[in-house]
Amino acid sequence: MSLDILREGRAKRRIGGRNRNLWIGGAVTLVLVLTALISLVWTPYPVAGIDIPGKLATPSWTHPFGTDHFGRDVFSMIMVGARNSIVVAFVAVGIGAGLGIPLGLLAAARRGWVDETVMRFNDFAFAFPALLSAVMITAIAGPGAVNAIIAIGIFNVPVFARLARGASMSLWKREYVLAARVAAKGDVAIAIEHILPNIAGVLIVQATIQFALGILAEAGLSYLGLGAQPPQPSWGKMLNDAQTYIYLAPRLAIFPGMAITLAVLGLNLLGDGLRDLLDPRLRRER
Amino acid sequence: MPLLDIADLTLRIPTVEGTAEILNDVSFALNRGESIGLVGESGCGKSMTALAAMGLLPESAQTRGAIRFDGQDLLRTDEAGLCAIRGRRIAMIFQEPMTALNPVMCIGAQIAEGLRLHLRLGPGEAEDRARRLLDRVGLPAPRFSPQLYPHQLSGGQRQRVVIAMALACDPDILIADEPTTALDVTIQAQILDLIASITAETGMALIMITHDLGIVAETTERMLVMYAGRIVEQGPTAEVFARMAHPYTRGLFAASPHAAVVSVGSTEGRVRLAAIPGQVPDPVHRPAGCVFADRCARQTEACRAEVPAAMTVGPDHTAACIHPVLGEVPA
Repeated sequence: MSLDILREGRAKRRIGGRNRNLWIGGAVTLVLVLTALISLVWTPYPVAGIDIPGKLATPSWTHPFGTDHFGRDVFSMIMVGARNSIVVAFVAVGIGAGLGIPLGLLAAARRGWVDETVMRFNDFAFAFPALLSAVMITAIAGPGAVNAIIAIGIFNVPVFARLARGASMSLWKREYVLAARVAAKGDVAIAIEHILPNIAGVLIVQATIQFALGILAEAGLSYLGLGAQPPQPSWGKMLNDAQTYIYLAPRLAIFPGMAITLAVLGLNLLGDGLRDLLDPRLRRER
Repeated sequence: MPLLDIADLTLRIPTVEGTAEILNDVSFALNRGESIGLVGESGCGKSMTALAAMGLLPESAQTRGAIRFDGQDLLRTDEAGLCAIRGRRIAMIFQEPMTALNPVMCIGAQIAEGLRLHLRLGPGEAEDRARRLLDRVGLPAPRFSPQLYPHQLSGGQRQRVVIAMALACDPDILIADEPTTALDVTIQAQILDLIASITAETGMALIMITHDLGIVAETTERMLVMYAGRIVEQGPTAEVFARMAHPYTRGLFAASPHAAVVSVGSTEGRVRLAAIPGQVPDPVHRPAGCVFADRCARQTEACRAEVPAAMTVGPDHTAACIHPVLGEVPA
């Protein structure tokens, strides 16, 4: 009796702790996405609106985050920067997952030389840091948001391929795969209908984490001037611009820095929360 | 003509250490509606024989001999041809109900899978059939909805679902690969009864693979004793239990808890089981001559000279031993 109460209490506390990550991360991510969506239709000031007399204004009611060295409203730029970050990270994760997951599933299903070929190509892609391959791509194709997306996307492919392969490898030996084969299912159908749903949890968690890394990578690229080009604002570029005024107006670095930190933190918390929620091993040991 | 006729089936799988001799000259026949038992300890080739009959051997496997199902040699049938037979005409109950069901798919969909692909039933019809199959295996509506997931069922209930999957297409042969090993003793009898009643009702032939002699005695008409990839003794179940001509069969029986009642050599009131000394020879280094010689009390020089041929020791009863134990098993 008393044991039951104890166990129940412990279970509740653990669920509470689990939900906390999920809720905080989810809330931060939601704010991020809403900000980006709102920026599509409305920003307090146009982001390209240069106002030299009002440059480097301190935060006030008219400019909550102040203005930069061109007199542009920092709050508006953060809003549009959020959109930029999300689009880049989202498409990059899409490229990574869209190519990586099928490749990983294929490698695990076929084994042998197919596996070797796919995974060695992945190792090759993985060996280049995202920033380095982005520099290479921009050197070839010129800077811009699209090239940043491609560079980060390519970096994501081996991450998803490895994860999908590793997670599905052991599943192919399960008897239910044999049972599906007995039911006349082909390898492709087995991979999609039996294997994929079983590894969806880890893939979703990884996608969330890669999303955070994508935001970080985009900020890094645009900081180096390889991402979004002016007048399109981005958090990384704002950090770069702020560098010149770091003693005069440190807030110009603080606001975009905070935005990046919060976005990455929120997505990581969301990823952790989702992992606890979706991982069947954690769920079963209630 | 027997429904399934396995003739001189030899199976080799190359490994890094050398070629593993998994099966050697395995021959037996299964008639329509007959139930046979395949007994032996782990690694003796029972499951591999079943997988061979299902056409589910690993790609690297090298085979010789023939597996004739309804006149068609499965070893010479392409993947498409096998696909039409396995699951449809030869079905299998897997050993481990925990891994034989996909944890993220509801049980109705898993049962319907074979119906839709083999019998080309539409979704509605397949669902109806799945519902009826669940009823048949003792998971009645409304308590057991096809929408349930495996984790909502107990081990015994999951095994019933696995049986429903095997029965789905009304196969001619049902292969049960240690169907009760992973279950509680109390559930074992229920599952065996279920399998027995279903095969009796539908006239399916049954191959019961097990290491439990009690299960063989209860559920089969004929039994094959396998050791190290060979059939060492075969005959009608009652006849084999009465004589146990091969020393290995005797050893297996003495080592099973069922025999504890008749076994001697109790110490301090507790009955000790007689273990067979030694181990099953490694499939990469199988000895010449009789594979059981190293562990056999009756072995002589002649045992190592050549593989003993099957000797008739009783009506329809053979043992591959040159020194068979003759006479009835002392009760």
